[in-house]
Amino acid sequence: MTPIGRKTFLTLAASYAVARPAAAQDDAEWQKVVDAAKKEGKLTLYTASIGSPYLKAVLQAFEKKYGIRIEAFEARASEVRERVRIEQAAGRFVGDIHHNGQTATWLMQRDGNFQPHGPIPNLKNLDPTYAVDDVRVPSEVNSYGLLINRNLVKPADEPKSWLDILDPKWKGRILSDDTRALGGGSVFFVVMHDTFGKEFHEKYAAQKPIFSRDLAGNERRTARGEFPLYVPFLLSDYNQIRGLPVKPIVPAEGRPYVLFQLSILKNAPHPNAARLFINFYLEPEQQLVFANGGFNPAVKGVVEKAPEDMRALLATKPMGTTVPERQDAMMALAKEIYQ
Amino acid sequence: MGSAALERRSDAVTPDPLMGAGVRPAEARARWARLPYLGRPAGITLLLLLLAFLSLYPMVMLLYGSLHSTPPGIAGTFNLDGYAGLLTVQNLQILANTIGISLIKTVLSMALAILLAWIVARTDTPARGTLEVLITLPFFIPPILTATAWAMLGNAQVGTINLAWRWITGTDSTLVDVYSYGGVIWHMMQYSTPFIFLFVVDAFRAMDPALEESSRMSGATRWQTFWRVTFALMLPVTTSAFILSFIRGMEGFESAVFFGTPVNIKVITTQIYDLITQQAQPDYQGATSFGFAAMALMFLLLVLQSRLLRRRSFTTVTGKGYSPNVIRLGGLRWVTFAICIAFFAATVALPIGQLLLSSFFQFFGFYQLDMLTLDHYRAVWANDEFWTALGNTMLLGVTGATATMVLGGIVAYVTTRTLWFGRRLINLLAWLPWMMPGMVLGIGFLWGFATLPHAIPIYGTLWALLLAYVALGTPVAVRVTSGAYQQIARDLEECSRVHGAGWWQTLGRVLVALAWPAFAVGWVLVFFGIMRELSASILLYSPGTQVLSVVMLKMWTSNRAEDVSVIGLLMVVMVLLFRWIQLRLIKTRISTL
Repeated sequence: MTPIGRKTFLTLAASYAVARPAAAQDDAEWQKVVDAAKKEGKLTLYTASIGSPYLKAVLQAFEKKYGIRIEAFEARASEVRERVRIEQAAGRFVGDIHHNGQTATWLMQRDGNFQPHGPIPNLKNLDPTYAVDDVRVPSEVNSYGLLINRNLVKPADEPKSWLDILDPKWKGRILSDDTRALGGGSVFFVVMHDTFGKEFHEKYAAQKPIFSRDLAGNERRTARGEFPLYVPFLLSDYNQIRGLPVKPIVPAEGRPYVLFQLSILKNAPHPNAARLFINFYLEPEQQLVFANGGFNPAVKGVVEKAPEDMRALLATKPMGTTVPERQDAMMALAKEIYQ
Repeated sequence: MGSAALERRSDAVTPDPLMGAGVRPAEARARWARLPYLGRPAGITLLLLLLAFLSLYPMVMLLYGSLHSTPPGIAGTFNLDGYAGLLTVQNLQILANTIGISLIKTVLSMALAILLAWIVARTDTPARGTLEVLITLPFFIPPILTATAWAMLGNAQVGTINLAWRWITGTDSTLVDVYSYGGVIWHMMQYSTPFIFLFVVDAFRAMDPALEESSRMSGATRWQTFWRVTFALMLPVTTSAFILSFIRGMEGFESAVFFGTPVNIKVITTQIYDLITQQAQPDYQGATSFGFAAMALMFLLLVLQSRLLRRRSFTTVTGKGYSPNVIRLGGLRWVTFAICIAFFAATVALPIGQLLLSSFFQFFGFYQLDMLTLDHYRAVWANDEFWTALGNTMLLGVTGATATMVLGGIVAYVTTRTLWFGRRLINLLAWLPWMMPGMVLGIGFLWGFATLPHAIPIYGTLWALLLAYVALGTPVAVRVTSGAYQQIARDLEECSRVHGAGWWQTLGRVLVALAWPAFAVGWVLVFFGIMRELSASILLYSPGTQVLSVVMLKMWTSNRAEDVSVIGLLMVVMVLLFRWIQLRLIKTRISTL
């Protein structure tokens, strides 16, 4: 052990003496939140994560642990946003927690749809990669890679870099999310643009990718052999297609991602239950549920506990994400390049 | 023969599909006198208020949205930017595309549906009762499922049809490619053909063959008779079905987004979808403006239809006894049988077979023995959400379809058989929801119900869904029943009244009694419309009030297409059951079926 000086010792001792009662005080304060949440007994969640078995598992675990009933409204991002907006405009404050992608959340924060979440103990668990503020709390991360058909792509031909999909041998053979619309396609567009420049997309457009918005069906089409390559592939879909002749790949440069965030809605009828829920969501056990499902957890030290094949995909470099402030300009550029 | 039934008669009133048929003024006066003093004005006012709430109110919200820079509840300014933004070359191309696709699919579907309806209702083709049920099946299957099935059957690279074609011919050529204009039209036809068929088949049955016999006796050929009498007498029904189907084609979304978007075929609905859901900042002003522009176009069509049918009489069901006879086709009946079977094979057996097969395999479209499973059935069985949604949907379906048919029946009566003041407005209000694309109208309902005074407990309850469903279903209910009413002669009503029956008694025991097969068809159409409706449901449901379409969307987006197949098959079984019961009932009334 490294010896420490008297001054340092005194400083540490003083800090401990101050921090110890402060921590105890924090614990007591938090216990009040837990008690109040239980008294509220109910929580209404508005989420853009539709039909996710992982989210459902976490909701059930919360209900079981605290006896607080959760009612979840699930719809697409823009529908959730519009519903919250019109409800609040009409003075109907129904929802407590909002769970959505970073762009919708950013727009809603700008429109004043949220309230500050206040102190939440498990915020300390968060991975510093993902920014947190007094309103928006990172919850889990949608990461993207590529999907190949194993019967159509030889191991030697597997793309190792995102630039490999520009090889002329893939011309007309790539199934792609529409880069001109919200979703994986637009994330892919922004991140590739920011990493490789506009030229990447000019070359990708020349590859004549086949755009589709049937996101759920694209993986099956690739697996059936309609296309050897699908770009970009949502890693959290991997569990649903295990057993099919496909292979997900995260290229060397890393994975584009979209952050999902939790926020407390303005005038939430159950604010304590909402805070308790966010705290629960950030527990490593709950984050592991998402990591097992192919989401990057928002919390430190969880990816390491994921199954090996999933870990190989998730423990990769976060390459970049969309920037809400530039979203409209980027979509306009995408429409210009991919006419 | 000069189409005697269509002669303009001196006593003809103003039958008008948009504005409604009428009665002679003297009759109207007599009825007026017989009604309780305040009964009629009060009834009309109530009807107007109800329809205004159901259809005008959400429309007004949408109109506000189209004229305001921001949606309701946010500060902004009134302007015409939304409409000005429509005037681009690209939007004109989209409009032309939409009209072209819808027109072609409606014409083709109409021809096919009339042929099939004639075969089923008026010929001695074998197993007509069974064929009738089978022909209508595609209409009731969720489009997302048939689209998936057809994507597997007809894609250019590895589609089953093309693989079979290459195997048979030994070439590398492609026979079909569903990702094309043809694919979009074909997929739409699978819904519009049975839809139109349901409309026209009962009209064929409700026709007095004496008119056709008179035509034949007067020397007309079989074709002349069909064209000038049979077809001409069915104009109210066929034009209604045509217009409804054309408008639905303009509002069709699934076919275009599945098979059109990948090859850059754009239509109005995919454009609206882009404006609402595919931009960082949803453009509600642009989307609602697009909706109203489409609505104006559709309104013109209705005016056109009303001019086409103006001042004609289509009465075929009179006080004289008759029995719709069947044409003996001899050997040709096997040809007609083969036509029906071919339609059934192409539109039902192929996609439903695909669904059935897929429901027993781990993955949709991967038929390996080691992937055989009953897991999808177990998953649906064990899914609490599914059972809650099924319960809600059945409750909403039964009450919604019944309420809609009652409302539609009353609206149809007022608009087709009276000259009451306000009937044109009533008819227009009942039509409005049909003319606005569903995904825009859903927003109108959300805005409308959410901004109601909090003391009115509609928002966030099953009532919100029920009212939206009634509004969405009323146009179909009105069309189906008014088509049937127009075929019933007025002397039957008069006879009832002369014998002392009251207004309600006459309505129930004469009109409804004679038109009930149409009521039954309308009920089934509305019921399954409710089961499939998503645009309004996704915005109006609340935790605990979710419906089947929302649960199916959840399953679909979470990559559980196989579970959706199981529910799709359940819906097919329900349709078979409903239609079987319905046809059994019809059979008790029409012995020639």
